Amino acid sequence: MSAISTKGNGWLESTGVLLRFCGRIMGEVYSLKVFRYFGEALRQCGILILSSTIVIWSLIFIIGLQCGIEGAYFNRSVGSPAYAGVFAAWCDLRELVPYSFGYMMAAKVGTGIVAELGSMRISDEIDALEVMGVPSMTFLCSTKLLAAWMVLPFVYLSGVGAGFFASYLAVVQQIGEVSSGGYQLIFWMFQNPPDLLYSVIKGMAMATTIVLVGCYYGYNASGGPVGVGTATAKSMVLNIVLVHVIGMLGTQLFWGANPRAPIGG
Amino acid sequence: MMGRKREINRLPTVGERALMPAKNLLEEAGDMVILTGKTLVSAVKPPYPYGGEFVSQFLFALKLCWFPLLISTVAFGYGAPGLQASNFLVLFGAIDRLGGFFVLASIREFAPTVTAIVLAGVAGTAITADLGARKIREELDALQVLGVDPIKNLVVPRFLALMLVTGLFDVYALIFGIFGGIIATLVNGAPLGPFWATFFTNASTVDLWGSVVKCTLFGAIIAIVCCYKGMTASGGAEGVGRAVNQAVVIAFLGIFAFNYVFTQTLLATHPEIQVIR
Repeated sequence: MSAISTKGNGWLESTGVLLRFCGRIMGEVYSLKVFRYFGEALRQCGILILSSTIVIWSLIFIIGLQCGIEGAYFNRSVGSPAYAGVFAAWCDLRELVPYSFGYMMAAKVGTGIVAELGSMRISDEIDALEVMGVPSMTFLCSTKLLAAWMVLPFVYLSGVGAGFFASYLAVVQQIGEVSSGGYQLIFWMFQNPPDLLYSVIKGMAMATTIVLVGCYYGYNASGGPVGVGTATAKSMVLNIVLVHVIGMLGTQLFWGANPRAPIGG
Repeated sequence: MMGRKREINRLPTVGERALMPAKNLLEEAGDMVILTGKTLVSAVKPPYPYGGEFVSQFLFALKLCWFPLLISTVAFGYGAPGLQASNFLVLFGAIDRLGGFFVLASIREFAPTVTAIVLAGVAGTAITADLGARKIREELDALQVLGVDPIKNLVVPRFLALMLVTGLFDVYALIFGIFGGIIATLVNGAPLGPFWATFFTNASTVDLWGSVVKCTLFGAIIAIVCCYKGMTASGGAEGVGRAVNQAVVIAFLGIFAFNYVFTQTLLATHPEIQVIR
């Protein structure tokens, strides 16, 4: 934390420190060291499922409604209300479900990790772990990353379902200018399994980044109760920026050169 | 024996425990509404001692947010509406329509929401962390003992500053969001003239004021949620972090729920903005 706040010219250095920290955590997961603490990872999975799933789904649901009404009104204005499904399919699956997943992950899980690890650091619990011979980084950070990788793909997929359901409600039940069957024909025509896979990759890239950034800021918090709050706020800044950048890069990579639409040749 | 009996009597029943989260939620929502009311009354009732704090909070939010907001809006504008919509329009040979689409995408939707997300994530969390730390160190109680009203001196300036700064940042986000659209047009090798032509024929003042009013109200939501969570923080170091966590979650949900209601109302009551020209 001191590397970030005190050295004005050291942002390059602090980026390097952050990257090295993230590399170490990922390395411990890939080298399977983390499986020594698999029980802790399972406990983190349980915490993720119980405390974060509902809010993630509800944000995606609200944004699905939003995609639905914008799509319905836009397609009405171009004179093709039956084609609202195109807008909803692309808006939901390709862009706004990953974004809203990233937002809520950053808000709920990212800041939660910073608050938890930061207060452990302030009350010297992390040092106590080290003294007891437990590698604190593996036990605290790598288990969280493993838990995220085990649970979040499923949370994401069900979130996509919540978004689709919300768009259906908004277009068919609320605005009601297209029949249920007509909407679904177009809606499913404009997406296929690779699109879903790309969307999941985008969401998982955001989730991994958020967990790593959260661990970094929490693990390196300093400066008493105030420090924990400041670290939480700072992690949010970086997370928001990274979510948007990952969203843009994902779109460029997956759909930039190929629209993947069933139109023309 | 007696003590144990009392212990048993105090345990909540299953029904009470099941309803407790809902009850807490409603209580918190009610508290926030009360805080909003108190803030509004306190803002208009003389005296007005909050001028200096207002300016410093305004500059604080401005300094903190301008760079994350710039990156976020350009990235969002280039990725979501820019690339996806231009992909779709290129198939029909109608890339010039991207400008018209950006009126819908940028002005009506993502400029206000991305501004609110960034402001809640950057300035809102900083406000909660600041007020939470003061609460934990009992500075807020000390202020009250000294006869200084924390709502008038701390909440009102933050509320007004965040509303103003969010409304102004909306215009900034619009400009950079459209810049993302310009990059998308150029990436497709299309000229910019048709982009601007369809943009300005489709843009209307209703869209613009709707966007700015929506964004200003987002600022009010963020300020109230973040101030409330900061001022009710408890439980030491973890308490402040937890307050920030809850504040940003509630702010995000509130922003998007309000966005849905506002957009739906605006679209339904102003049919003229839906006409493609």
